[in-house]
Amino acid sequence: MSDSEKHVPQPAEVVSTPGADVLVPQSTIATTATPPTTPAELELSGVVQVSERQQARRENWRLIRRRPGFIIGVFIVLVWSVCAALGDRITPHSPLDYRAGTHLSPRAKFPFGTDEQGRDVLSRVMAGARDVMKVAPSAALLGVVFGVIVGMVMGYFGGWIDLVLGRIVEAFLALPVTLLALLAATTLGSSTTVVIGVVAALFTPVVARTVRSAVVAERDLDYVTSAKLRGESSAFVMFKEILPNVSGPIIVELTVRIGYAVFTVATLSFLGVGPQPPSPDWGAQVSEGFRSISASIWWTTFFPAAAIASLVIAVNLIADSVQSVVEAS
Amino acid sequence: MGRYVLRRLASAVVTLWILATIVFVMVNVLPGNVGRRVLGPFALEEDVVRYNHAIGTDRPLISQYLTSIRRVFTLNFGDSYQTGSSVNKIILPALFRSGKLALLAFVITIPISIAAGIFAARRRDKVADRVVVNAGLATTSIPDFVTAAVLMSIFCVHWKLGKVFADPPPGSSVVGQLPYLLTPALALVVAYFGYIARMSRAGVIYGLQADYARTATMKGLSKGAVMRKHILRNALAPTITVISVQVGYLFGGIIGVEKVFNYHGLGSTIINAITSHDIPVLQGAVLLVGIVYMVSTLLADVLIAFLNPRVRLETSR
Repeated sequence: MSDSEKHVPQPAEVVSTPGADVLVPQSTIATTATPPTTPAELELSGVVQVSERQQARRENWRLIRRRPGFIIGVFIVLVWSVCAALGDRITPHSPLDYRAGTHLSPRAKFPFGTDEQGRDVLSRVMAGARDVMKVAPSAALLGVVFGVIVGMVMGYFGGWIDLVLGRIVEAFLALPVTLLALLAATTLGSSTTVVIGVVAALFTPVVARTVRSAVVAERDLDYVTSAKLRGESSAFVMFKEILPNVSGPIIVELTVRIGYAVFTVATLSFLGVGPQPPSPDWGAQVSEGFRSISASIWWTTFFPAAAIASLVIAVNLIADSVQSVVEAS
Repeated sequence: MGRYVLRRLASAVVTLWILATIVFVMVNVLPGNVGRRVLGPFALEEDVVRYNHAIGTDRPLISQYLTSIRRVFTLNFGDSYQTGSSVNKIILPALFRSGKLALLAFVITIPISIAAGIFAARRRDKVADRVVVNAGLATTSIPDFVTAAVLMSIFCVHWKLGKVFADPPPGSSVVGQLPYLLTPALALVVAYFGYIARMSRAGVIYGLQADYARTATMKGLSKGAVMRKHILRNALAPTITVISVQVGYLFGGIIGVEKVFNYHGLGSTIINAITSHDIPVLQGAVLLVGIVYMVSTLLADVLIAFLNPRVRLETSR
């Protein structure tokens, strides 16, 4: 057993362990049929394969929808999506209006109180959803796409490519994502694009490792061998043959990564990397407000902090439901 | 055993080298002139040039790279751009302060979360189990700085149980430091409880179903004895790994907590170095976090190999 194969549980995997063994059923279905020889038969077998896979997917989707955690999670995400999409069109006050009087405690007109500049905290929390709802999913999606490509190459080709990339992946995992992101964002600036790119780049090694182990389990199965014998290109075998069969752990990884992206983006903006004042943002709001806690002014910190917590927990509830159904199938 | 440790050590050295390269690349993407940034916009051009020459930023990248790699392996990170004192004099005391906080957090977290894991595993799929699992999922997913801010408003402001600033006055005794350190440590406990509890729960559930547990039960051992002597010993291995990984990550997650409680540990040192563009301190502090991670995972692997002969045999082949 080489060192790169050694399994070190990462936080992501403790919450989610998308194992490679999960996926055997679908691929065996695909290969037990008589091996196709003519192009027409190939076409036909492809159709059968897809419909069976679709059926399994529909069944999984039905099971996921019935889980209470999923329903609660989706509801919370929907609420924040509406806030993000409509922004100051639905907030009770303008998130930038400072004429209310500073540090008013929560009351009927300002349910979450006002901040140190006299702005309505509720309006700022609602409008603050926009940035995180844009940045976190984009970063996670991009990170998963890169991670799938790298992990696929590592698992499919093996050998020295796997060894070298494996060592680099391992080195990346020795440092917390927040720390590396902080380092990169200070040298590259803190625009939205940079945050998305940096978080995506730092998620790539983690995703690559998961995908790699799933691909290694598929690599020597008959359908891969037969595709190679047919003379298909490596890219075709990797992305047309293997990819559909490892979609389970990839989808799980994506949902888990979105949760981590919300976490990371909020932490970065708390530390000053992200949208700059006065634009409303949850992490930045906590960072502006927490110094007044010692003066018993808790609402400027508590509500944006609760907003971050609710979104992360909601995404994780969805991820957890998806994971348990995918792993049980 | 000796060969196993040597192999692990060799691979840690390679990882450290790659890590140092990653950090070097990231830091040197920095556009602009270090001397100009440190001395300010009003400094004379010849002073800037002299400064750059003194600290070596005018040398070719490859020679700067070799210096930075040599510094990592001699654990000598050079001098701070900002204060001129040795980087080690800045980052080692900071590591010690963060370590104090981390130690307190782990002393509280480890027994609580392992106990919760066993408790949940014994009541698998019952209400108590669901509560532990979901509470663990929820608390771990909240960013540490959020927990820190909320705990601060409850414990330190509302109930006045702790201090708002975590730095104890100099010279205070171990007990005297507790009111300062307890609330920030609790924020870390909340953040790391879930991982360890879920891992030990999974380990115990696996152990409860294993043949050796059934044999031990049929031999007539009491439930407690089966748990202590057979299941826990096996369930502990993945839990130890998770704890060791958490030790490394804690020094990254601690940044937010340190900022909220205004604590002068490694996290605030990193933030400081970033705002003042103090590259040697930044490089040293970030690599120190990586070294802590590698040492703790190395120790965990050796400990597991020591506990379980099968791991030893498999890896030394």
